[in-house]
Amino acid sequence: MACKWIIGAGAPLDLAYDICRSAHPELHVEIIAVPQNGKYEFELGTLDALQPASGTAFAAFDERFGNFKRMELMSALIERGFQLEPLISPRAMLATGVQVGPNALIGDGVTIGPGSRIGYNSVLLPGTHLGMGTLIHPSCWLETGVIVGNGVQIGKHCTLRSGALIAHGVQVGRHCELGWPQRYDKHIAPKTIFDGRYDAPIYTYEN
Amino acid sequence: MHPRYYLDADIFEREQRKIFRKVWLFAGLKTLLTQHNAFITRKIAGIPVVIQNFHGELRAFENVCLHRNALIQTEPVGRRPLVCAYHAWRYDDRGQVTNIPDEDAVYRFSPEEKCGLKLKRFALRSLGNLLFINLDTSPFPLEEQFSPEFIALLESSSNAYDTEVMVTTWRGNYNWKLAYENLRDANHARFVHSKSLAKVVDFRPSVDEVLLQESSQALPDSSTGALRDELRRFSYGGKDAAIDNMQHPSWHALVERWGQEDAYYNWLAYPNLHIASGNGGHSFTIEHHVPVAPGCTDLEVYRFTAKKRQPFAFSNSVLLAEMHGSKLVVGEDIQILEMVQSALHDAAPLPTQGAYESLNRLVERWYETLMETEHGV
Repeated sequence: MACKWIIGAGAPLDLAYDICRSAHPELHVEIIAVPQNGKYEFELGTLDALQPASGTAFAAFDERFGNFKRMELMSALIERGFQLEPLISPRAMLATGVQVGPNALIGDGVTIGPGSRIGYNSVLLPGTHLGMGTLIHPSCWLETGVIVGNGVQIGKHCTLRSGALIAHGVQVGRHCELGWPQRYDKHIAPKTIFDGRYDAPIYTYEN
Repeated sequence: MHPRYYLDADIFEREQRKIFRKVWLFAGLKTLLTQHNAFITRKIAGIPVVIQNFHGELRAFENVCLHRNALIQTEPVGRRPLVCAYHAWRYDDRGQVTNIPDEDAVYRFSPEEKCGLKLKRFALRSLGNLLFINLDTSPFPLEEQFSPEFIALLESSSNAYDTEVMVTTWRGNYNWKLAYENLRDANHARFVHSKSLAKVVDFRPSVDEVLLQESSQALPDSSTGALRDELRRFSYGGKDAAIDNMQHPSWHALVERWGQEDAYYNWLAYPNLHIASGNGGHSFTIEHHVPVAPGCTDLEVYRFTAKKRQPFAFSNSVLLAEMHGSKLVVGEDIQILEMVQSALHDAAPLPTQGAYESLNRLVERWYETLMETEHGV
């Protein structure tokens, strides 16, 4: 029986495991926990015992450090020869023709409208709703309850927190965090952070 | 000091007039103004200000259109000519109105009237990548406010700043002076920051016998020159404490560190600028406390690394992690400051300051002289 390794740490491990078990009952699904050391580096020694050619893998990690830690783990798996595939819950509803990149996760109850594309390594947690023709660039993180309007583009490495509603046609630049539960109806400059702990948005300027 | 200095609206107005519209104030970062027509806008001492690059030269003007008082530049940072969006009046690098659409047909200004349409310009100086503005019509030399050693330190350290800058504002319910009394108080960190900053850095309060002796006496001279001399020593900076076993995350190797010491650096520029590097010159934070009202202060926080050796994809995540670090530590300070402010009333007990707080006492006697007499800087 082919293997599917869910490799990573934290709650996303269990989430990905459940989705994988229900989406691929024919596979032997195994969780491989990867600890981090004091410098937040992944300790990948647990992977040495695996034979990449005998299965596929999924890098499961949360959104911390702008989704770069999950991408780092994903890159480490690719370097070791693992093949990565998307994980799509059988309880999600994807319109015909929706494209989903490698190592992307589509959770239970997610709805995605026709013509949408989900970049690699992006995570749509259960209950996310995407309209028609949306473009989610790689390494994004969309939490439960996020609503994305038709034609919306979300730049790479964005994090959308629960309660964010992105109006039709809005473009969100790369590396943004939309953490205020509100309607976002204007384009958002790259690297803009709406964090619930802050009184005002955090802006990044660069020449 | 007496509680009225933190509560009274008249005092607030007086300090705006006698301090904030007289002395040199932090105005922004030159790193955001490298291109022609790049601008930043600020509200400084209640006055809207635009600082704009005109073919390489930075100039500061009052950011208010002379037609109908609209703001000319409306974004905090941007790049566009100095043109008011309301009726498209255009201004040049001298602040002079150069174009008014349909001027002859609908305005009918005489040549003399048009010639007099000139924005108020303010003195602007750069120390490395730090910009300082003076709102006074006859500004005194910046060198009389800051010592040569302090100027050299600001220039040297700020020349190491990177051009990617993260900025936000936190509004707090405290008087701006409380923040600086707290920053000059090396004894608070081990109590207020016991679970954060104090775990990494050991700030030690010390007693300066000379300052202690001096601070127990009245200000000997209240002439303008003497007050400026006194003001000069309220701005200082450099290494504050060593950091043992400093962590070096991977991004440290990607920037050109300022200095070589594993140390916590602090710079305080009177009245309302605090710069720090909590990781030995790998990154910096600027905290600019802008007084809004006696019991209200906007803290503008800037975060940036030292110059990047080359761009790296996760630089913004580094800045955000650093910003969250600031939020934690400064949030602990703000919690205390808001508590102190909320306890103040006209008959509240006067502070009982110890020997190690002599610099705060020197600032206070200078400040009280300005507030209670006709003398000024």
